[in-house]
Order: sequence, then structure tokens, then C-alpha cells
Amino acid sequence: MITPYLQLIALLEMSLTCAVVFVILAQKLSSIDIPFSVRLLAVLLLGNLFFWPLGMSMELPLAAYVRGVTGELSVVTMLLLWSSVIPSNQKTPLGFKVPLALIAIAFYPLALGLGMLDPYAWGYGSIGLLIAVILFAIICGLAGWIKGVWIISFAMIAWASHWHESANLWDYLLDPFLAIWALIAIPKAIYQKRREKAQSGYLFRAG
Amino acid sequence: MSRVIAFCFLLLASVLTYLHVDSRPAWVPFTSDYPVNIANQADDALETTEGSKPVKPLKNTGPVKMAQPTLQMGWLPDTGAPSVHAASLITLKDGAVRAFWFAGSREGAPDVVINTAVFDPQASRWSAPTVVMDRVSAEKGLSRYIAKLGNPVPARMADGRMQLFFVTVSIGGWAGSSISSVISDDEGLTWDRPQRLISSPLINLSTLVKSPALAFADGRLGLPAYHEWIGRFGEFLRIDAGRVIDKRRMSSGRGAIQPVVFTDGPQVASAFFRQTRSSSQPKQIPVSETKDAGQSWVVSKDLEIPNPNSAIAALTLANGTRLMVLNNIEAGRYRLVMVMRKANSDQWQVVQVLEDDESLINDQHREFSYPYLISANGEDAHLAYTWDRKKIRHIYFSAAWFKHAISILKEKEAQ
Repeated sequence: MITPYLQLIALLEMSLTCAVVFVILAQKLSSIDIPFSVRLLAVLLLGNLFFWPLGMSMELPLAAYVRGVTGELSVVTMLLLWSSVIPSNQKTPLGFKVPLALIAIAFYPLALGLGMLDPYAWGYGSIGLLIAVILFAIICGLAGWIKGVWIISFAMIAWASHWHESANLWDYLLDPFLAIWALIAIPKAIYQKRREKAQSGYLFRAG
Repeated sequence: MSRVIAFCFLLLASVLTYLHVDSRPAWVPFTSDYPVNIANQADDALETTEGSKPVKPLKNTGPVKMAQPTLQMGWLPDTGAPSVHAASLITLKDGAVRAFWFAGSREGAPDVVINTAVFDPQASRWSAPTVVMDRVSAEKGLSRYIAKLGNPVPARMADGRMQLFFVTVSIGGWAGSSISSVISDDEGLTWDRPQRLISSPLINLSTLVKSPALAFADGRLGLPAYHEWIGRFGEFLRIDAGRVIDKRRMSSGRGAIQPVVFTDGPQVASAFFRQTRSSSQPKQIPVSETKDAGQSWVVSKDLEIPNPNSAIAALTLANGTRLMVLNNIEAGRYRLVMVMRKANSDQWQVVQVLEDDESLINDQHREFSYPYLISANGEDAHLAYTWDRKKIRHIYFSAAWFKHAISILKEKEAQ
């Protein structure tokens, strides 16, 4: 049903993702908070720039070049990125990033040929993996990260409806960029905690 | 409240995904292209000694004397490209043979295209070559940047259509490969829009194809593929039209790529690999076996035929005779032979030396590589292979030739 539109959907998603990444970078570099309306406008403009073929010597739209290098991003990555431009965006908890990083550390070496066990193959329809994902989403919800429940649910539905080229659930949940982000978040959080501790120690040191 | 709504949505997602998992096709046995009639083998059987001995290159064998019938040798049509490689073949419905190969200024160059031509067995002539796929049409069809094209492998779908799997690279060398496919309703004259096969979790990098697909009883295809990056290992992809719906690891580590599969029955098969081992390890053919139609594979003892990190071709004839074409040397690709193994035997024997530059000094050795074998009717064989990267050699082995080769081997054994 979706098959004729697979490439179009993928290009639209990639265009939007590229636009959002630029807006996030601009926000990081900017000292003032960029208003939501400006962010939205920038996403729309940049999204169009990435989506439509620009001609010149390029045979494809810009998003297609990015897609050639990055492949399809997981639905979880895309939704996390897209939701980050929304004003009331909930910060992703460390309780999501740490297990994600641990899963990635175990998953990628095995999936890329270390031994005969291939966890990636479970993604084609293992009921065990599906139960694990549902449990993970429930834990996210019980821990108070409601956005996580929505994101994982959307990823599961996208898989069931063949939203992307892949028929593997892993490709809807995890990608190397998400794994790197989760891995970096751990030392970053430790560093930030130590800094906060040091600062509070300085302010309230007994005279 | 928002948590309740989110959990309701999760419940909906869980039900939908469960239904999706439940609707997955069950894994089914292999089918054979033609019924293997081992009874016929009795007439043609090679008389082999008890037990399996390591196969050694039969240096004194020389080309088997073929007074009658002779091999039909020719070349795939010249496209003018300086570099050609990775030919593959498929039988058409009218008995003709269609070949695919890639050609360009050099392997991996952006100007490489996938060519095709048809061999008319009556006239023993190849048609003019045409282009199936070039880099720009691949990237437009796949809506993503493609840097270069690689190995093409055709397959016959259960509904009679032809599917062509081909390797594309967007970043890096062959390690950055992915597999795509196109389908033809008219025996390869025209092709639909290409589809990307997703087979790896890391940006879909590093899956390649070289060997013919197998058919499952439900009409789906089993495609032997391989990774060639961090790991070098074989994988068995279960394909439903343009989509990978399952895959199983055939080997692990960094020592075995380009599997070719011999089926021994609906559930049992053996895969033979091109070895890519470190210099300290044996330069022989790695083997994996399955007893559940490819759902799980176990690495078994090497086949003691030398392999110089070079692709092999495999074929089973209708009488159960097995054929392989390979470089049976430990280094270089200057010697190419056909080896044969009769049904219910473990012994492989050289029946034809196809190319041999052993007498030349090292730097004059040419490359004879990437063999590909098919049979039009289960009794004959078409072979295509790269000839020094400049041309593609095509050789036709008739049923009469096989009978004759076997009788000569029997004579040699008797001596």
C-alpha cells in the first residue's frame, strides 16, 4: 500500500530532519532563545530547500545526497529530533539514554559479525524482541517519560505498516546516530553532575 | 490522563505489531530447479576410491582431450569498456541465456554500468549488449546518492518474472555496499523502478551478492549474500519480491565470503565460500551446513581444495552430479578449473582445466576469476568468467561433453 510512496516519504522525512538539525544547531549557537514561529518557518524553508531538486550539476535533491550517506534514520531518532523544536519539549531522560547505549554496545558488534548470534535477525518478527520493546515502552511511561511511550508506539506502528524500506523492527527503533547520541550523553551527564556538585559546594561551603 | 492515553496508544501499537508478527510467512523447505534424478547417475558415475581424499590440482591432467564433442567457447559481446567483471547468467523461458556483467573504465569507477546480452543457443551467437543500469538511473530510482555499481545476480521469481539483484555503493569502497533489485516482466528487456534491500543495521552498509539465489517451496527466494567490512561472513537472505523478510548468518568472523549453496534436499544444504583468511590460516574452501532449510547454519570442516581468496561457482545437474569452477591454487587467479563430484560421493575431481598461466612468469599471470555456472535443462552447463578483466569468457558444456568427460576420467582412474 505504501510501497509506491516509499521513496517520497523517505525524502520528505530526510528533508524535514535535515532542516530540524540546522535549526537545532542554530539554537545551540545562538545566545537568545529563537521563538517557535521563527523555528517553524526556518524548518519549512530549509525543508523545502532539501526536498526539491536544485538543478545545477546535481542530479538529485539535497536530501537524497544526505540519505545516500546516512541511510534511513530510525523513527525514534526522527521523532526525537523533530519534537526537540517544539516549545514544551520534554528533555530526554538519562534513564532512556543509558539502556539505549548499553543495548547499542551489545547489539552492533553482534549484528556486524561477531559470532554466529545475530540479534538483528530478531527484528524480522521475533515475538521476544517485540515483548521486550513493549516492556521498555511501559517502563518509560511508568518512569514519567510519556513522550517515550508515544515515540516507541509510533515506531512499532511504522514497522507494522512497512513505512520504510526495511522490514526489520530494529531499523525503526535504533540507528548508529541515536546510539552515538546516547553514548555521548552518559559522560556528558556525569561531567555535568560533577560540575553542579562542585559549584554547589563552592556556594554553600561552610565559612 | 496523558499517561493513560499514551498507554492506550501503546496497546494499539502492540496489537498491530503482534498481528504483523503473526502474519509473517513461515520458513519453508527448499525446492529444486529440476528433479534431481540420482538413478540416472548410474550410467555416468565416476568410479571413485573409497573415502574422500584431499583434492589436489591435477597438474598432468591438462585440458581433457575432447575429440568429440568439443566445448563451445566464446566471449560475451565487447562494449568497448576497458574493464569488465562479475558476469552472471540466467536461462530465459525460450531456452536462450541472458548474461549480466559490469563494465567501465575500471572496477568501482562512476562510469561503470551493468550490461546485458542474450545468447541464442541455436545460432551460438550473442546479441548486441544493452545497459540495464547505470549510476544515475540507479540513484534516481532509489532516490539517494549512488557512487558506483557492482555485481549483478539474476534470479527467477515464482511468478515467472525475472529479478536482478545488484550491488551499489554510496560511500567508501565495496565495504560500503548495499544490495538493490529490479524486476522485469519481459525477460529482461525492460525493468521497473529499483528497490533497496535493507540487510544491515549500520546505515545498511556492507552487504553484497555474487551467487545465484535458491527457491523456497512458497515461491520466495533465498539469496546467499555476504558482508565485507568489519566482519567478512556469509548471510542467507530470505527475499519477498524487493524486500528482505528474514536473514540468517552462515558464517562469522573475517574468513568467508561469497557463499555458493548446494541443496541436498528440502531441508539440507551446504555452502562453500571464498576464503578471506589471514596468511597463517589454511587457504581452503570454508564450508557451512544447514539442516533446517537455511534457518540455522553450522560451520563445518573445510573442503580441502585450495582457494586463493577467489570466488567459486557451483551447479548441480539433474543426475545429481555437482560441478564447481574455481581457482585451485593458494595464491593468484591464473588457473581456473572445473571440478566434479558425483551424487552420493565426497570426492571432487578436476575434469577440465579451463585456464592455466602457471608456465608464465609471475608478472605475466593473468586473472581468470568470478565464475558463474547455470544449466538450461539440468544436463548441460553455461559458464561465464572474467578473463583478465578485459573480457568475459563464455563456455558451453553440452550433456554429451559431460558424458565424455566422465568416461575419460574413468579411463584415467583405471590406468
